[in-house]
Amino acid sequence: MMERVLEGLVQLVLLLAVAPLLSGFIRTMKARLQMRRGPGVLQTYYELHKLLRKGMVIPDTASWLFSATPYILFVTTIAAGLMLPMVAAQAPLGIFGGALAVVYLLGLGRFFLALGGLDTGSSFGGLGSSREMTISALAEPAMMLAVFTVAIGANSTSLAEIARTAVAQEWRFLAPSQVLAFAALFVVLIAETGRIPVDNPATHLELTMIHEAMILEYSGPYLALIEWGASIKQLLLMVLLINCFWPFGLPAAWSATGALAGLAWLLFKLLLLACAVVLVETTNAKMRLFRVPELMAVAFTLGTLALVSTFLF
Amino acid sequence: MQLLQNPEFGDKIVTLMAALVLVLQIAMVGQRWIVTNIRIFGAQSFLLAAIAGTIAWYNSAPHVFIAAVLTLLVKAILVPVLLERLVDRIEIRREIEPIVNVPVSVLISGALTLIGYIVAESFYRPEYTSGPASMGHNTLAVAISLFLIGFYMMINRRKALTQVLALLSLENGLFLAAISLTYGMPLIVELGVFFDVLVAVMVLGILVYRIQETVESLDVSKLRKLRG
Repeated sequence: MMERVLEGLVQLVLLLAVAPLLSGFIRTMKARLQMRRGPGVLQTYYELHKLLRKGMVIPDTASWLFSATPYILFVTTIAAGLMLPMVAAQAPLGIFGGALAVVYLLGLGRFFLALGGLDTGSSFGGLGSSREMTISALAEPAMMLAVFTVAIGANSTSLAEIARTAVAQEWRFLAPSQVLAFAALFVVLIAETGRIPVDNPATHLELTMIHEAMILEYSGPYLALIEWGASIKQLLLMVLLINCFWPFGLPAAWSATGALAGLAWLLFKLLLLACAVVLVETTNAKMRLFRVPELMAVAFTLGTLALVSTFLF
Repeated sequence: MQLLQNPEFGDKIVTLMAALVLVLQIAMVGQRWIVTNIRIFGAQSFLLAAIAGTIAWYNSAPHVFIAAVLTLLVKAILVPVLLERLVDRIEIRREIEPIVNVPVSVLISGALTLIGYIVAESFYRPEYTSGPASMGHNTLAVAISLFLIGFYMMINRRKALTQVLALLSLENGLFLAAISLTYGMPLIVELGVFFDVLVAVMVLGILVYRIQETVESLDVSKLRKLRG
């Protein structure tokens, strides 16, 4: 029993600590690719620290939803993160749910974030919320199809089980269904984390912003919670991608040495995936908002093909 | 080195590359810019050459190697370069204007792929599929889908140049079917086909240029009017 609690704590600390590092790494790499020096890798930590110490401004028109949203977002993201196998093929909260729970916990967080954006009655918040909902309504089916594809391979929607099956079958990630599902999930990852072809994480230009528009009214510790939650969500989706499709080096059960080896592998694979994301972000221009459904249609078709080819190949 | 001898690994690689070819075909449907479309076609042909090369390696069939090299030179390098120069010359860098909009087109190509898989299913005989000679049988489904999607693209596009591109990707599907079912036709047939493709691109290129000169548009629906 104590061990389970300890495993959960270790994973919690990893989620909280690695997520800002990953965001910082992506930012630094992006700056380097654009021939800028850019901020250091630790910049996200400094920003979170700064925000947590600052005071807050809460709009007069805001209701309790405005204050509840950052906490709900943060907690649902953490809970989803604990249902994921991270450094071993076991999830601390695995008994409470698998892939479906993870997807819809993230959905719950997003729902409240959209409400928080609408709550203050500012036009930008409403604009951001409606855009976010449009995109996520299109991204979710694609994500579900891809998740079902890997779940069929493992005969289970438990993510730990999926990871174990993937470890056991060495070359499975080369099967067409897996490749198509990976491609679909990668597009979803780009859309859900607000990366460049869909949304620009570094802009405050009203015509283009989506995520930034929703959180425009937030400041201080609330903003820190939302930003931290967003970076944990990014880490979570990347870990999901890695451990469903590419889990070699993942130990089957928790142990001190096994977890360390698993962590080393995970960090290495996160590095590669982050580089892929950075490449996509630097080589593409941001899409017009009305073009985003086209990208999502491609992701959806990829997901459908992945699901179809598991049955036919 | 052991992997290079293992036909099972070769089968996986061929199936994987065939899946990527299919993804590129759908990307072509989803992509609006003509120049990007040409580059995607180049990448697709490159993958096709790689598939042919892999099949040749595992079946130790030297004449398929020649087909692979020819695909690489003609379809992956020469044809894209020719088409890009044509785009430069007739000064259209504009977007493709399909008749049916892009999201619906992508979904339709998904459905066409489904049909491809269902059709190919009836050719699948698991009892005969063992050993290196059976390699890449799964690619038949991909080949049929490429063919169907290529047809759809031709119907869906208005401009002559983009129709040429669709025709070429349709031809890629035929090549994939031939290479995965028969491990290469006789070399003379193969050479004839490549020469055909090259000549077709040149003739169509000149034709496209002429259409642009006379009608001042590449929209083939404008060719219905008689001009004296």
